[in-house]
Amino acid sequence: MRVRIGRVGWRGLALLAATGAVGVILGVHGWSARSTGLPAGSLASGSPQAAAPSASAAPHASSSPSQPASRRHGPLLSSQPYAKAAYQVWPGRMSAAARLALTGLKVSVHRRGSGISVTAGVIGQASPAPRLYPQGARVYVVETSTGDDSGNTDYNLGDDGLVVTTAQGSIVQ
Amino acid sequence: MAESASALAAEWAPVAARVLLGLVLAWFGYHELVQPSLWTGYVPVLSATSDLAVILVLAHGWVLLLLAVALVAAIAPRTAAAVSAVLLLEIVISLTVTGGLSDLTLRDVGVLGLAICLTGIPQQRLLLTRHEAQGPHGPRR
Repeated sequence: MRVRIGRVGWRGLALLAATGAVGVILGVHGWSARSTGLPAGSLASGSPQAAAPSASAAPHASSSPSQPASRRHGPLLSSQPYAKAAYQVWPGRMSAAARLALTGLKVSVHRRGSGISVTAGVIGQASPAPRLYPQGARVYVVETSTGDDSGNTDYNLGDDGLVVTTAQGSIVQ
Repeated sequence: MAESASALAAEWAPVAARVLLGLVLAWFGYHELVQPSLWTGYVPVLSATSDLAVILVLAHGWVLLLLAVALVAAIAPRTAAAVSAVLLLEIVISLTVTGGLSDLTLRDVGVLGLAICLTGIPQQRLLLTRHEAQGPHGPRR
């Protein structure tokens, strides 16, 4: 079999060069925005965390089994770019969209003491230790695209996250 | 009538296939470039939160964008289709290893098939590349 590679020509080269330049500009923009967008408490690492604006502000698990640690309140969830992709898991009955967003994930919330215990992980992986949050907290799962979900598998955990907010909607850090 | 429709389809179907495959690659390339952190979960072995995974996604998105333009504008379309096929094969293998055969994986197998088909079509309309445009009846524009 012989594959013939054609000559691109100056017009083709110019168009490819222009596209390459546009791609570099878009890539620089994407690189600078890599830490924004989804909450830092990504499920990709297998450890549930409350959402935080930066990785360095990510909280540590509460050491007390019954008392939720006091946490700082961050910005409103509604002010975050991923707000429209956040689906409430707790309290109340989950919507169909929330159930769909949970594909491949396992999130469980239980009342414990004066707060709630949240466990979030990936199906097929070991469950991480639960985290405690104050009473009234709301739990959301973030799924920016369900196009990577199939059956009971989420192929791309990079676009998933877990967010816990106060009753007023401020993200718990 | 049927013959002319068949001839028309034979002449323009590769163009439609090329443009549609290009649109698919452009969509993914663009989104990988502007929001790479949402795609790092697909990078095998590496942690999704690592900078290296972001860089790999950006590089992948850049290549996809170039291939998309090459296909849509028909700049060396068979070569672009062949490279696309290699990339898609890597994606299919990666997805299969990660989650087994699924509707999502098989959808990509279909796109892979489209790319493979395009590597085998020597004569196409709306070509920007002179050499590949030349068939038995000379250049076609």
